[in-house]
Amino acid sequence: MRKSIMFVTMLVLLLVVAACSDDANSENAEAKQNNSSGGATEGQQESTEEDAGPVEATFWHAMSGAGQESLEAIVDNFNDSQDDYTIVPEFQGSYEEALTKFRTVAGTNDAPAIIQTFEVGTKYMIDSGAIEPVQTFIDEEGYDTSILEENILNYYTVDDQLYSMPFNSSTPVMLYNKDAFEEVGLDPDNPPQTFAEIKDAAEQLTIEGERYGFSILNYGWFFEELVATQGGLYVNNDNGRSADATEATFHGKEGLRIFEWIDDMNQAGTYGNFGSNWDDIRAAFQSEQTAMYLDSSAGVANTIETAPFDVGVAFIPHAEEAERHGVIIGGASLWMAKGINEDKQQAAWEFMKFLQTPESQAKWHVDTGYFAINPAAYKEEIVKQRWEQYPQLSVTVDQLQATKPSAATQGALISVFPESRQQVVTSLENLLQGTDPQEALDRAAKETNRVIEQQARANQ
Amino acid sequence: MKDSLEMEQPILTDQPLSWWKKSLNIRTACLYLLPSFFLFAVFLFYPMAKTVYLSFFLTDQQGIANVFVGLENYQYLLQSESFRKSIKATILFVLYTVPTGVMIALALALLTNEKVKGIGIFRTMYASTMGVSVAASSVVWLFLFHPSIGFFNKIITAIGGESVSWLLDPSWALVSISVTTIWMNIGFSFLILLGGLQNIDEQLYESAKIDGASYLYKLRRITIPMLSPTLFFVLTVSLINAFQTFGQVDILTQGGPSESTNVIVYSIYREAFVNYQFGTASAQSVFLFLCILIVTIMQFKFGEKKVHYQ
Amino acid sequence: MNGLLKKIALYLVLTITAFVVFFPILYAFLISFMTGGELLQGNLFSKSFHLENYQKAFERLPLAHYLMNSFIISLSVMIGQLVVSSMAAYAFVFIPFKGRDAIFFLFISTMMIPWEATMIPNFITIQQLDWINTYQGLTIPFFAMAFGTFLLRQHFKTIPKELDEAAQVAGISRFKFFVKIVVPYCKNSLITLGAYSFLTTWNMYLWPLLVTNNDSVRTVQIGLKQLRTQELATDWGVVMAGVVVVIIPTLVLLFIGQKYLQKGLAQGALK
Repeated sequence: MRKSIMFVTMLVLLLVVAACSDDANSENAEAKQNNSSGGATEGQQESTEEDAGPVEATFWHAMSGAGQESLEAIVDNFNDSQDDYTIVPEFQGSYEEALTKFRTVAGTNDAPAIIQTFEVGTKYMIDSGAIEPVQTFIDEEGYDTSILEENILNYYTVDDQLYSMPFNSSTPVMLYNKDAFEEVGLDPDNPPQTFAEIKDAAEQLTIEGERYGFSILNYGWFFEELVATQGGLYVNNDNGRSADATEATFHGKEGLRIFEWIDDMNQAGTYGNFGSNWDDIRAAFQSEQTAMYLDSSAGVANTIETAPFDVGVAFIPHAEEAERHGVIIGGASLWMAKGINEDKQQAAWEFMKFLQTPESQAKWHVDTGYFAINPAAYKEEIVKQRWEQYPQLSVTVDQLQATKPSAATQGALISVFPESRQQVVTSLENLLQGTDPQEALDRAAKETNRVIEQQARANQ
Repeated sequence: MKDSLEMEQPILTDQPLSWWKKSLNIRTACLYLLPSFFLFAVFLFYPMAKTVYLSFFLTDQQGIANVFVGLENYQYLLQSESFRKSIKATILFVLYTVPTGVMIALALALLTNEKVKGIGIFRTMYASTMGVSVAASSVVWLFLFHPSIGFFNKIITAIGGESVSWLLDPSWALVSISVTTIWMNIGFSFLILLGGLQNIDEQLYESAKIDGASYLYKLRRITIPMLSPTLFFVLTVSLINAFQTFGQVDILTQGGPSESTNVIVYSIYREAFVNYQFGTASAQSVFLFLCILIVTIMQFKFGEKKVHYQ
Repeated sequence: MNGLLKKIALYLVLTITAFVVFFPILYAFLISFMTGGELLQGNLFSKSFHLENYQKAFERLPLAHYLMNSFIISLSVMIGQLVVSSMAAYAFVFIPFKGRDAIFFLFISTMMIPWEATMIPNFITIQQLDWINTYQGLTIPFFAMAFGTFLLRQHFKTIPKELDEAAQVAGISRFKFFVKIVVPYCKNSLITLGAYSFLTTWNMYLWPLLVTNNDSVRTVQIGLKQLRTQELATDWGVVMAGVVVVIIPTLVLLFIGQKYLQKGLAQGALK
């Protein structure tokens, strides 16, 4: 008797749960329709995929905040522009979290048609075997990639194949407080350009207890850029581009110069440490606690807009001993999944092409500050207006276009990049706490070598 | 013997009856335990077994266990400086948050156990942190700790002090996270302890009053012993939560600076989700499991003895 | 006179501590009304009140929908945990059987398994069950809770054994005894556990993100994540507005529920 009651209770419980799930599923479908309400005729989505109805392709992205807003608007534009395809954008958390999910669905039918992955995930994506190089579609259709920014394509081109479609792309630049420059008698239109010049300027700009001269975000990316702009390699085998990298090289002379430079300023009390959070260092700059800092080109417009003083933008500095090589592209690109319906791949490809139109790129550039992959976008009216308003923005594009293509500026290709980056950050933090520059750097290199080696062993 | 009183058991034949009857308890127990067991098996034991298995392997980037390496992952951990830092951070974090948090909550509960006008408002205010999620409170505290525009540094500089790098200085970061955590847990601990206090029989205090006992005497001799089951509960919850802290570390420091806040759970997350090193991540999990196991056994062995059940 | 002084001192201490504890919440409110520029100057009070941040937060995300999901999920987990844990606790206290202590210890040991360690295998399980983007994927893995079982066992133990024996003499079935006597007797601890599990579920952060791909069953905590950005500038005013929106329902719930919660807890005294 009581047992049967128990079972009934359990059963009811399970049924309730099951009912909930049905709700969830139908809601799910509803949500999808709502999402794409801009595009395609409603109600057709559920019908057979072959005839009628647009092909629905999901797009996993990691854009939050303003990026998400702009991205969704562009997707809506695409869905409105034609009747054959519907792109459904879905936020998946940070790049790491999105990748974790992708890893488990890769190669199955659950995989999204498009996934956005950060630049350091490039090698991982290529090796995963779960993606279709966009080169396949480029060749098939004879799509002309020469309309796109060469320095951006270089990063994602491996063995002469363009693997993914560049999307949100940025580079580092140096931002400085022009008012502060004038205040201490520096020329606001002629910012310091080498490590030594920065060091001198930082000394002049520092007001003890109030303002630091110079700061860098504790983020591996800036270190990579400063190595590259001196022509230095991050790992061996031409940055892992001629063959799989087996060893870190960033602790060579180029890397050491950076660490010693930061250490000198830190010891002298002219270097401000504002952590690894993008917003913190910007707030420090805006509240005049640091007079110069390195930022992403994507954050420039917003900083100029909100700062209560005149903001200058300059190329990132380089060591006196080395000539300027330029910058590596950062940000993320869009990858197409393999093993999914061909229609969906086609939808993904159409969307990628749509993204590269000058109109889309112009909107994207103005909304977010990321580069336009298609330089024609810079001639669009909204971009021109924007640049008129903030003439400093053109510096970011100049710096990118002045970059000399080489293995150094193409960027390193290693699958353990996220971890290596983390190790560099830890070393940088140790350096700021007083560890010897060479020692700090060697530690990061040693850890990087260890994971590279482990990866090689696991992949045998 | 009680079982013989069970009325509704199906009676089959004579011989199997005794066995059937003997096993009655265990069968009933199974029924009651079945849902828990089933769920544990699927969502805890199986993944844990898999974790132990993975800890003996090197995994490739797809997370597939490729190369059997025996105890190499464990050996690596034992000599890894990062891992030592993780252990240190975890232990310090537990020490910072658990005793302080419970003590503050107890103090607040004792304060609001006084029957004065308007006490309800104060109780509500103290309990309010319970209604703020980890993600929300971490974001707010991130702003409070802000190096340049945060409230704390504004106050410190306003009164002439030197601003503190709350989350950027390795010697401060863990303290800052602990403060945040203590704040987040106050509400819950407070409410439970207050409930416990109100459960204490008034008569005990009345008789103590007649004897002219001091406040402290009453606290030591009546309040604390009577509150001990509740205190034990709050301590256990805080301890488990402290060991498994993740959200605030992720939002406030990401384990930095110089790995000073890289508590084990966060380190596991990084190793598995960012670095895709499932082998070492799993080894760390096994290690953490053993640690908590020991702490809990100790707590039950020494702690529960001191608890008075009515 | 002495009594009055004491009272004043008590109120003073109460007020100061209450302000300190409540301050972060107040701070979030204040900031949510500021514009970007004002905020970055680090002012505490806004010169004028702006509601744009709230407007933006709601425009950007389906926050109401997220709140609803959070509520459904937290409530389901709460009920599930109460049912499953109280059943297990009942078995541990009232049914004597061989190896009970060993099994109990096995239960307790699950408390020590760090959730993050099981996350990836669990995620794969959920995916194979096709439970991605469903309520059950977000709730069922949490139904069994060693901690809840432990807590309830402690309280069930306080039920006099004689009661159980008397019930059996009277021929009351175990299940009836469980539902009619044990559960009402331990109402207070069930309420405590319920509140605990509701809040823990409400707080879940990483798991909901992993097992959902779209907005259909996503929770508010993910919403907060979406308001913050990485490389682009975060609009802190909007984030704080989001924080306020996210905490108001739980705060209100707490304000209303606190009385009941306390009452439930106090009822234990009547034993």
